[in-house]
Amino acid sequence: MAYTKEQIQEMIRQEAKKALATGEVSAVVGWTSTRFEDRTKPFFAETESECDLLVWNEYCINGTAKYALDDRYPEKKLAVIARGCDSRAINRLIQDKQVKRENLYIIGVACDGKDNPICKECQHKNPLTFDVLVGEEVEEQINADRFAEVLAFEKLTPDERYDYWAKQYDKCIHCYACRNACPACNCIECYADQYRTGWQGKAADREQNQVYGLTRVYHVGDRCIECGECERVCPMDLPIMRQTRKMLKDINDLFGDYECGLPDDRKPVLGEYKLEDPDEFM
Amino acid sequence: MARIGVFICHCGTNIASVVDVERVAESAKTMPGVVFATTYKYMCSEPGQAMIKESIEQYNLDRIVIGSCSPRMHELTFRKMLKGTKINPYMLEIANLREQCAWVHTDREKATEKAIGLVQMSVAKVANNKPLTTSTIPITKRALVIGGGIAGMQAALDIADCGFDVTIVEKEPSIGGHMVMLDKTFPTMDCSACISTPKMVECNAHPNITLKTSCEVEKVSGYVGNFEVTIKEKAKYVNHDLCTGCGLCQTKCPTKVTSEFDQGLSKRPAIYIPFAQAVPSKPVIDANACLKLTKDKCGICEKVCPIGAIDYKDEVSYTTEEYGAIVIATGYELVDWAEMYPEYGGGKYKDVITGLQFERLVNASGPTEGHIVRPSDGKEPKDVVIVKCVGSRDPKKGKSYCSRACCMYSAKHAHQILDKIPNSRVYIFYMDVRTPGKGYEEFYDNTRRDGAQYIRGRVSKIYKEGSKLIVRGEDSLIGKPVTVEADMVILATAMEPSPTVADVANKLGIAIDADRWVTEAHPKLRPVETQTNGIYLCGTCQGPKDIPDTVAQGSAAAAKVAALLCHDEMETSPMISFVDPNKCSGCGFCEGVCPYKAITMVEYAGRDGNRRVTKTVAQVNEGLCQGCGCCNAICRTGCIDLKGFTNDQILKEVDALCL
Amino acid sequence: MSVKKDNNWEPVILAFCCNWCTYTGADLAGLNRMKYPENVRVIRVPCSSRVNPQFIIRAFQKGADGVLVCGCHPGDCHYATGNYYTRRRFMLMKRLLEYNGIDPKRFQAKWISGSEAAKFRDTVIQVSAEIKALGPNTKFVGTYAPQNAVEGGQE
Repeated sequence: MAYTKEQIQEMIRQEAKKALATGEVSAVVGWTSTRFEDRTKPFFAETESECDLLVWNEYCINGTAKYALDDRYPEKKLAVIARGCDSRAINRLIQDKQVKRENLYIIGVACDGKDNPICKECQHKNPLTFDVLVGEEVEEQINADRFAEVLAFEKLTPDERYDYWAKQYDKCIHCYACRNACPACNCIECYADQYRTGWQGKAADREQNQVYGLTRVYHVGDRCIECGECERVCPMDLPIMRQTRKMLKDINDLFGDYECGLPDDRKPVLGEYKLEDPDEFM
Repeated sequence: MARIGVFICHCGTNIASVVDVERVAESAKTMPGVVFATTYKYMCSEPGQAMIKESIEQYNLDRIVIGSCSPRMHELTFRKMLKGTKINPYMLEIANLREQCAWVHTDREKATEKAIGLVQMSVAKVANNKPLTTSTIPITKRALVIGGGIAGMQAALDIADCGFDVTIVEKEPSIGGHMVMLDKTFPTMDCSACISTPKMVECNAHPNITLKTSCEVEKVSGYVGNFEVTIKEKAKYVNHDLCTGCGLCQTKCPTKVTSEFDQGLSKRPAIYIPFAQAVPSKPVIDANACLKLTKDKCGICEKVCPIGAIDYKDEVSYTTEEYGAIVIATGYELVDWAEMYPEYGGGKYKDVITGLQFERLVNASGPTEGHIVRPSDGKEPKDVVIVKCVGSRDPKKGKSYCSRACCMYSAKHAHQILDKIPNSRVYIFYMDVRTPGKGYEEFYDNTRRDGAQYIRGRVSKIYKEGSKLIVRGEDSLIGKPVTVEADMVILATAMEPSPTVADVANKLGIAIDADRWVTEAHPKLRPVETQTNGIYLCGTCQGPKDIPDTVAQGSAAAAKVAALLCHDEMETSPMISFVDPNKCSGCGFCEGVCPYKAITMVEYAGRDGNRRVTKTVAQVNEGLCQGCGCCNAICRTGCIDLKGFTNDQILKEVDALCL
Repeated sequence: MSVKKDNNWEPVILAFCCNWCTYTGADLAGLNRMKYPENVRVIRVPCSSRVNPQFIIRAFQKGADGVLVCGCHPGDCHYATGNYYTRRRFMLMKRLLEYNGIDPKRFQAKWISGSEAAKFRDTVIQVSAEIKALGPNTKFVGTYAPQNAVEGGQE
């Protein structure tokens, strides 16, 4: 029998308390309510009583994994309440050697789909990596069409595509929110912040935004876990996943089925090669 | 601020006839950082170089651009020239105004414009050059040869003759490899053991060679000139320092198991010297067969040994030694044909044998003392079928490559059968006959004249009827099926790399191809080098080949080793990657793409905000890095960069060309 | 340095060439006095795998009309495996640029060996003609000028 939201919420609170009670965990990252009924915010529960402020509902949309990078050299474990996407984000961070698995305590919880458009294409509602699972697993949707949007966009003419993106990048305010939310953007120092090498400018004009936009796709494209945080946090509503998914689609077309953040040892596509890869540069 | 000098070469009329060199020099004077620009007829000549040197002094230049022929031509010349000045040899860029401008264009105006662009690119780059210094690394004047077959022995002997210490590591209890198993060698029919055992003895006796039999390479670290190799010595259970090799133990041992040396055609005791001419000629105990070691019974060898050399408590031991160069010569094995070809009986017919088994049968020191008989009933065969390309040239079942030696040894086998067995008949099923080699075609012709019948086609089935083996195939030249009633079938099975090669290559950090052959640095021009400096290859670990080619490669590898070891130290290129450990996130992607295993992840005392923390960051081994820059482009932060081709320099080149 | 006049317009084409194959092939083209258009400028890199796709974006931003990346044929890389990574990187990059509205002809990659002087010439002639037909690139072109334009260095 499936559990109700309230039951799961209670179980999350209990697991959080248990984790804190071990003394090995500094805090539990989850969600808490806000003054708006249809919004939650990320929340660090550090005491038993704070655990009772953790909530579980369809508005728990913020990713929790990236908070593991707040302290890259922690003395205690961080407990993370992880849905499918959060667990993939954690795998991303582990595979990129940015956090150590032993520094995390993962409270897995199957996601029922949140009030977030990207959840419609989700293929991993159940957490893939966890220490304890709250509630029970849910049925995964198969054949979710991740690339429909990209396919449709590819049909436009080059000029239409350019104009579309130019308009989008005209809106961009170069705030780097997409970078800060992305679990694949985990460099200690981003290339974009390097002043002397001057990879790109910092001004929020169309061209410099374009350079940032393209470089961002290239940097994360083969490691993207498709959580959609970049797009969700964008204050100017840029369709960022439409860019990243393009690269993912090409990877799938050229090099075989490919998804990131799964608990396997597969290297990112650009970090390996096969002799029999397709070749169009002859 | 940089003080750049620009020197445009006329190259006689080579450049000046198409490019307006004076205009290029004038234009260069306006480029940022340029304090002096001039032209000269031949920049590479003595007076040209003297003029550059004078200008460096006169205008207090700290870096220069030379617009001349290709940097592939004179970059080294001009770097050498700078060694005598106050400018570092790497504060130089060359604009390619001859091969890539004057010689390929005719329009003077456009060519001059392009030349100005190229000079501008070089000026922008040189402004970002940093002085680089070559460092030297010492060279340990010792070599390690992995594999003691004919290839390894030849390489070891040649290196040792140059005066360098060599260690041969051989996994078997004796050196000698496959060659010593063979009976005669084509096309001269000289006795294989007679010409290979002197090499074995010489290896043993050579003052510069250390033999390490029953040993394997456990771990390799370091780089050219400075390898540190851990060698694992398997338990022999016989103290070879005491053993005199009298052989009494093996005559008394009650256990009998299949002989590897005789390819399963005879038995050997559990304590054994692999073959009569083995080097070292001292026994080892097969721990899997010995009653004492498996069941704690027997113990006869210990009792009979006159000097107490038997040691049942012997254990695996490890030694670590330093070497300057390594040669891999791990050789081949025959493919397991039984699995690939169930239609040939899949190994259930005793009289279907491999070429190597035939070598033991026909060998005077083999299990039958050289009498060719059927393994099943000991009778002399009259009708013998030889099947070529078993596993070779058969991508569906076996390997796509040709095993190269089979055509010749099959002809040799036919010749030996026809010679030794009166009224015998030999049928050879072949796809093509390939005899490229001195005296090879003549040998094949003679075999046909001897009476060997060559049938062009593959064999589809071998089955037994009574005591006969029925061989069915097709004669593709007449397009009709043929059936031969044979007494014995010899399969010319494909060579494949030794099963150990993948492991050894992995430890050495060298590449193997899809068929597991070791990949050479360049198939034509660097055939005995691997892409890792200081590691060389020879023999059949690189691909199927016959004895002459194998020996030639052994000597070639030795020459390469000697050319390295004859120096006390070597200069390393300064144009290699370097890491900014403070920016490195430690993701390790660079480590994964480096073809030379030059990047390792190390601990680094860094900072995280106000805290002192131990970070894990990438580090480049200067002895291993070859400066390809593959790691640079995969680093998102750009914290691993290439000296001489930094991100900064290339971005400035791009900017300068697009302006 | 080209003057962008409509009738007399010459494109700016950058070619990143690996030192061991294509750069050598380009030198050989010179040695054989082959002729090709002046608008291609070669940037020498040790290996095609040294070419960071960000260099390509930078070139377009700075107003390049076309970019070419050339290296050894797969299997022939001087550094054994570099061009296999190049192949993956730029097959994806090319598609991404195209997706963003850059004509695929403006960014091309080619394997040209040290002996293929004629292929180098033919490639340059072809790319040059294609880009001339397309006209000047206006996409992604910006005004960004990095600091320390003359003397840069590490942070």
